[in-house]
Amino acid sequence: MSHVLIDLRASLKSFWRDKSTIFWTLAFPCVLILLFGAIFSQSSIKYDLHIQNQDLTDGKVTYWSDSLINIINSTNAFNIRFVNASVNGTDYALANRLSSLLIIPSGFNTSANMALYTSGLETANVTFVYDQSTSSAPVVQSIVMSVVENLNFELSKGVEYMRVKGLAIAPKRFGFIDFFVPGVIGMTAMTTSIFTSVSTSSRFKQNGIFHKLATTPLKRYEWILSRTVYNILISYLGMAVMIVMGIAIFGMKITLDPVSLLMVAMASLLFTGLGMIIARFVKDPDGADAAANVVTFPMMFLSGTFFQLSQMPPFLQTIAQVLPLTYVSEGLRAAMIFGQTQQAIFNTALITVLGIASIIVGSLITRWEED
Amino acid sequence: MSNNAAIEVQELTKKYGELVAVNSISFTVNRGEIFAFLGPNGAGKTTTVEILECLRKPTSGQAYVLGFDIEKKQNEIKKRTGVLPQDFYTYERLTVRETIQYYAGMFDASPDVDELIRLVDLEDKKNALFRNLSGGLKQRLGIAVALVNDPEMIFLDEPSSGLDPKARHSVWHLIEGLHKKGKTVFLTTHYMEEAEALADRVGIIHNGRIVALDSPENLISEHGTRNLLILKKTSPKAVPNIERLGVEAKYDEATGNVAVHLNHTVGVSDVLHELSSADIPFGELQLKRSSLEDVFLNLTGVTLGEEEGEI
Repeated sequence: MSHVLIDLRASLKSFWRDKSTIFWTLAFPCVLILLFGAIFSQSSIKYDLHIQNQDLTDGKVTYWSDSLINIINSTNAFNIRFVNASVNGTDYALANRLSSLLIIPSGFNTSANMALYTSGLETANVTFVYDQSTSSAPVVQSIVMSVVENLNFELSKGVEYMRVKGLAIAPKRFGFIDFFVPGVIGMTAMTTSIFTSVSTSSRFKQNGIFHKLATTPLKRYEWILSRTVYNILISYLGMAVMIVMGIAIFGMKITLDPVSLLMVAMASLLFTGLGMIIARFVKDPDGADAAANVVTFPMMFLSGTFFQLSQMPPFLQTIAQVLPLTYVSEGLRAAMIFGQTQQAIFNTALITVLGIASIIVGSLITRWEED
Repeated sequence: MSNNAAIEVQELTKKYGELVAVNSISFTVNRGEIFAFLGPNGAGKTTTVEILECLRKPTSGQAYVLGFDIEKKQNEIKKRTGVLPQDFYTYERLTVRETIQYYAGMFDASPDVDELIRLVDLEDKKNALFRNLSGGLKQRLGIAVALVNDPEMIFLDEPSSGLDPKARHSVWHLIEGLHKKGKTVFLTTHYMEEAEALADRVGIIHNGRIVALDSPENLISEHGTRNLLILKKTSPKAVPNIERLGVEAKYDEATGNVAVHLNHTVGVSDVLHELSSADIPFGELQLKRSSLEDVFLNLTGVTLGEEEGEI
């Protein structure tokens, strides 16, 4: 065991002294989160807003409903699309995966007049139907609400004549950043483990370090154990930095339970083994990096790290189903964000089985000695 | 095997498919001696040494290191030997001191790290990262690392390969120091000066076979070209006079020099006496001593630099 600790200490010291590795492992994922977070929080871009105006008299829009729509339009924040008044708005939003739909109900005009007449004893309500799993919905909702608040202020100096009622149609309430951070944690565990494993194995082979180590009493399994623990620790470090940043900058609400910690450890195990398998079949460090890229890049983009799987074409969704990172990302989201314990445990168990299999195969085919 | 033998090799063979890298070689290395394997790249030196270091499995034959069978007692051998691989390399971002401590830990040994650093003359660089060391300093650190477990026997594979002459002599000095401490040293080299300067005995290996094995002096005396005497600015008439003594002589018209191949019975004084008796003038004298290079050429028909291809 002391050999494992000695090698682990050497690896951690090397990590600490390698600024480019620190950047790619810790700073790069943070830059990604900041960048994507900033892009999806920007208010200068236009959002799609669907409006269903049910408040018609003889087929014509009423005064107050038309006024509200005009004021919303004057914010210049939206591409407004109208939904036929005869359909069920909520069903339509679900069927067409709308991120937001403002429903102005029949009788809105009358209610608004009553509100004015009674000085706010009655209110005129509109319903904002939204899917909060999309990044734009919270932004759209906040703009619509501020428009209505302004209108109230103009009419009554503050008394609430009109009110926006929220109706969430997503099964769970979470924002883009909540979706994104667990994905990046999974992705970082993958890239750290695969690249470290592949490049260390190929460099140690080419530079003769394996040869030298093979002449000492250090056992191969001790070295592999040290590398695995190292990758787990570095993945935890990345996870900690990203969670702190997510909470501090984006106010995320994260549950850090044993399942998510186990998932990150098992993902590191799985990708360390996969890296060793890749390293066995490449001749030099350059080839090793290329091979690692071939494996990590498709997984990065096809496993739902950056985009929801449901937004991808069906054939890509089928591919995603066989990529292990998909189960890591989904499992981490289930554990850290949604509190879906059963799915988190299932995914973690699957990754654990795959991780053990991969590290066994990787260990068996990694050679120090020559034939 | 005899108690005095540090290494005993019997009919050791290593094949890679059709290629026979080591072809039924047998030899013994005595305890406390510096034994050199001399041969060009691709001769089978590294394959042999890596079999003895338990890094490769032989195809057939037996080998014992410090009395332990290389196929059955690898841990015992590893604990008692130190290895400097060709072009020693290690964690790039560990310092000299940390590197020595790392390998000491692997042997569960507690050497005096400062003493080892002093031994290889790296006191000024003890806090330098490995990646910032020159080739010569890396090799010196490699030698310190090979000593962390106070080994009885040290394998040095091409210890001065690629080093400049100053760095090479520094490494030689270190190896001589190990010898004085009573360590057994097995080194491979393709530098004949290295084998000649350091080794008590030299095994000349060519195409996987040992073609000669003895002390450098005996190898030169037995297989070397006879010493060469150059008589500068003399007359072609010197040739028949000298040849009367029973040695070869050759006149070079371009330089006006005569080259004389001396042998065991005819020395420099015999030639000079003959010339003065015949009243033949000459300028300067130059005596070229025979070397292991000549021995290798005579035994294999090629020079050490002619063959390439590492096995």
